[in-house]
This record gives sequence, C-alpha cells and structure tokens, in this order.
Amino acid sequence: MARRARDSDESAFAEIVRRYSPRVFKVASRFFRQRSLVEEAAQEVFLKAFTNLSSYRGDGSLEGWLTRIATNTCLNLLRAAGRRPELVVSDLSDEEDNWLEGKLDDVATAQYRSTERDIIAADLADRLLETLSPEDRLTLMMIDGEDASIKEVAETTGWSESKVKVRAFRARQKIRGTMAKLLGKEKRDRGSSHES
Amino acid sequence: MKEIHIIELLEQAPLARLSESELNTIRAHTSVCQSCAKAYEAAQLSTFLVKERAAETFEPSPFFQTRVMATWRERQNVASPLKMWKAAKALVSAMAATVAALAVLTFVVPDAGTEFEPRAANGYSAEEVIMGQEISSAEQMSYEQVLTTLYAAEDNEAR
Repeated sequence: MARRARDSDESAFAEIVRRYSPRVFKVASRFFRQRSLVEEAAQEVFLKAFTNLSSYRGDGSLEGWLTRIATNTCLNLLRAAGRRPELVVSDLSDEEDNWLEGKLDDVATAQYRSTERDIIAADLADRLLETLSPEDRLTLMMIDGEDASIKEVAETTGWSESKVKVRAFRARQKIRGTMAKLLGKEKRDRGSSHES
Repeated sequence: MKEIHIIELLEQAPLARLSESELNTIRAHTSVCQSCAKAYEAAQLSTFLVKERAAETFEPSPFFQTRVMATWRERQNVASPLKMWKAAKALVSAMAATVAALAVLTFVVPDAGTEFEPRAANGYSAEEVIMGQEISSAEQMSYEQVLTTLYAAEDNEAR
C-alpha cells in the first residue's frame, strides 16, 4: 500500500486514511479536547505523510511511522499555541470545585460516577495538564494515563529512555504539587465555611 | 528521612506500577504522617484525573477521509503551476536568449553594416542587376557636353 501511495496512487492514499485514521485520532486526542482541533491535526498528519512518503523506508510498520508523525505534528501545534498557565483554586469552575469537594468526601464510590462527573474530571485534568510543557504532558498522559512503558514512549517520540524517565518524574511531581495545593486550599475553605 | 522516602517512592513510578509491598509501606506511613498523606492523596487524585483524560478519544467522522482527499487534491493543484514553471524553465531561457540575440541583431549589427556597399564582383550595382537597366556608355553624356550643346544653341539664335 505504501509503495502504491509512493507512486501517487490516489486510492492507496484513501486506503491509508481509512485504515489509520482511528490511530491518528487517538494520538491527536492526547493533545486536544475539541473535535475540530483533533480533526485539523489529524488531517495535517496525513497530508504531511503523503508529502514525505518517499522517506518511509518500510523498516517499521506504517502505523508506527504515522504515529511518530502524528506525535511530532501535535507537539509542534501545541508548542505554537504556547500557553502554559498556572492553575489556582480561584480559576476553578463551580463544577470543578464541587467535584474536588466530592472527591474529598468519597473518591471511589460507584454512585459518585456519572458521565457528567467524568466530563468534569476530564476538564479538570486538562486544566492541570495545561500547566505542563507539551512534552511533559504527553509523557504523563502515555505513562500514567495509558499505562505505556518508558520504552513505548521513547519509540513514539524518538527521545532516549532516560529523557522519558526524567520528563515523567518532573511532570508527576509538578501535577501532584498543583493538586496538593488545590486540595489544601479546598480543605481550608471548607473548614472556614463550616466555622461560619 | 522516612517521610522524604515515601514522597520519592510516590513520584518514581505511576501508582498502578507500585508493588503491593510498596503500597503497604505507603499506607502504613501515611496513617501517621500528615504531609505524606497529603502527597498520597494528591497522587491518587491526579492519577485518576489523567486516566479520565486519557480515556477521552475522538473517532474519525465518516466524512474525514473525503475531506483529507479533497484537501490533498487542492494542494496538489496549487503546487502544479510551480511544477509547470520548473519544467518550462529551459524553454523560457531559450526564448529569452533568442529575443536578446534578435535585439542585438536589430540595434547593433545594422550600424556596423552601413559602411558596407554590397556590390557584385563583376562591378554591377544591385539596382542594375535587379532592374536590368543597363545604361551603355555610348548613351551617356558628360556635364560639359550638355553645357556646350545648350550654349551653342543660344549662340546660334543670337546670330
């Protein structure tokens, strides 16, 4: 299929898009939460891949090659956006505030879980992840979120395994630090509201 | 010292990768250490949140393939005038050289050729050859002969 696509066979291009778009969408979803942004990034990935098909030597799988292009393209798009705000409690929405409060009461009860709550949790997670660099964010999403191994992250990104370890450690430390501050503030706020 | 060790243990690996004995150590320590309990709680919550976020993925829409192919064709068409220009480069260069040569021939060469009198080796001018108007030397009169004839006629009348 890759050989046919290299010979500018348009049906081969179409087949590549059809077969690998779920994989590319999954990669782009690690970086973006809006469907339009995910689609835009995925389209850019395929156009880049078609333009550079001559550089695909066929050593590894086409899926692996596309995953690397997708990861680098999304990292570049995120870097270009260049926003890395610090998250503080006053930035939290009422829903996020309630979610944290509920979590402090009982994190794991099944009754607490609902689709709406999941969306709020993902919103809060995204805001926490936004405080990290795109590279640290990707590393944490893959290792802590998807249970990927250090080796898998290294293969996807092209970074050394030690670099991946450092990034994961740093990202974990930062995000947990931010969360600890949010929880500390939350507890203090609740304490003062109970007193009054 | 033990407190620092627990926090380090928490940050070294994802919570899901910690062994049961490591988790037991953490639980035992956090029951007596306030700051480590706080760190453990933060680790649990942030792990939960990251997992929630990682579970959120989009599926491609049915029109995605059509859209990509349309954009690809569009970009190919934009790129083709550039390709045509590259292919026509040699032809355009040859045409430019021809125009330059013609300009040189038109404006420079004629000036140099004004001193040249095109005359055949046999001594006939171009007009003589083309028009066939060969004038015999016997029919030609000199300027003195014309004057003499005119004055002679005037003299005869006066007499």
